[in-house]
Amino acid sequence: MEKTFYNIFKTFFKVGCILLGGGYVILPILQHELVEKKQWIDDDELCEYFALGQSVPGIIAANISIFTGYKLNGTIGAIAAISGVIMPAFITIVILANIFEQIVHLKFMQSIFWGVGIGVLILIILAVRELWQKSITDRFSFFIFFAAFALSACFKAPPAVVVILAIFIGIWLQYQRRLEFGDDEE
Amino acid sequence: MIYIKLFLEFFHIGLFSFGGGYSTLPFLYHIAETREWYTVQQLSDMIAISSVTPGPVGINVATFAGFITAGLPGSMIATFAVVLPSFIIVIIISKLLEKFKKNKYVQSVIYMLKPTGCGLLAAVGIDMFINNINLLGFFLLAALFMASLSDKRSPLFYLGISAVFGLVAGFFNLTS
Repeated sequence: MEKTFYNIFKTFFKVGCILLGGGYVILPILQHELVEKKQWIDDDELCEYFALGQSVPGIIAANISIFTGYKLNGTIGAIAAISGVIMPAFITIVILANIFEQIVHLKFMQSIFWGVGIGVLILIILAVRELWQKSITDRFSFFIFFAAFALSACFKAPPAVVVILAIFIGIWLQYQRRLEFGDDEE
Repeated sequence: MIYIKLFLEFFHIGLFSFGGGYSTLPFLYHIAETREWYTVQQLSDMIAISSVTPGPVGINVATFAGFITAGLPGSMIATFAVVLPSFIIVIIISKLLEKFKKNKYVQSVIYMLKPTGCGLLAAVGIDMFINNINLLGFFLLAALFMASLSDKRSPLFYLGISAVFGLVAGFFNLTS
């Protein structure tokens, strides 16, 4: 499938339609639609956009969509991706705006919220499993994984802080390598 | 003018909410308290309902606030404003990454970002697990996990099954 404005828009519109249960769900959805089905990006790139998407300001699902859209077809692709992903959200809220207060307190809606919460959780677990296979390749990457996990889960460090720390470590490691091996830009 | 106010307020959220997830919430609560666009109660309802409507909560609230204060044009302006800072910043970073792709420092940073991203997502999962799970939820989760082992399925499969399961469980008063 060609990466035209229309195709990118259409794909992200579909992503936007199933983007239930909060912004993080965009990751498993993109994994399914763009990595597995269309093969437009790979898991490595998705992981990179996810980390970067958390370290810049703004809504995470929007950031990841813009990164991915740009990768697919430059600024045009980015516009297609972001407008596609927010369009279903926009239409739904405009339609529901006047009645949602009545809907939200219905008992059966509460039950659906509960169920979807579990659905979101399994999607996150499956996404971690998938990314794990691709990104944890040696002892060092396992250590980085564990450090990021522990900082965020146990010490409640904001994700942006963890990512910025990782960026500095990356720079520092390369600096060390250059000192050791005289490993110059080539 | 209401349009300009909406634009500035939501542009401000897009620019300063930092760190993903629910980082927009403090800003949205602040608006509920200082402006008359929506109440705190409406915001809580919105957060609940946005788990079953498409889109992240930040975008949903922007659309909603714009719509109830200034109709369709208002909702367009607020939604546009909340993603505009992301758009500008991400495009700039993408252009820089593209230009310096071959640079060893950039490669080293990208190598670091992969396991970091994976670790952060695992932390989100653990957090959700601790906050949401009960016995029945654990049962559903285990069943869905077993289903995932036999075949690759679409995200919609998992969300659909869990919504229906929740609906049925709620009917028998089992969810709380």
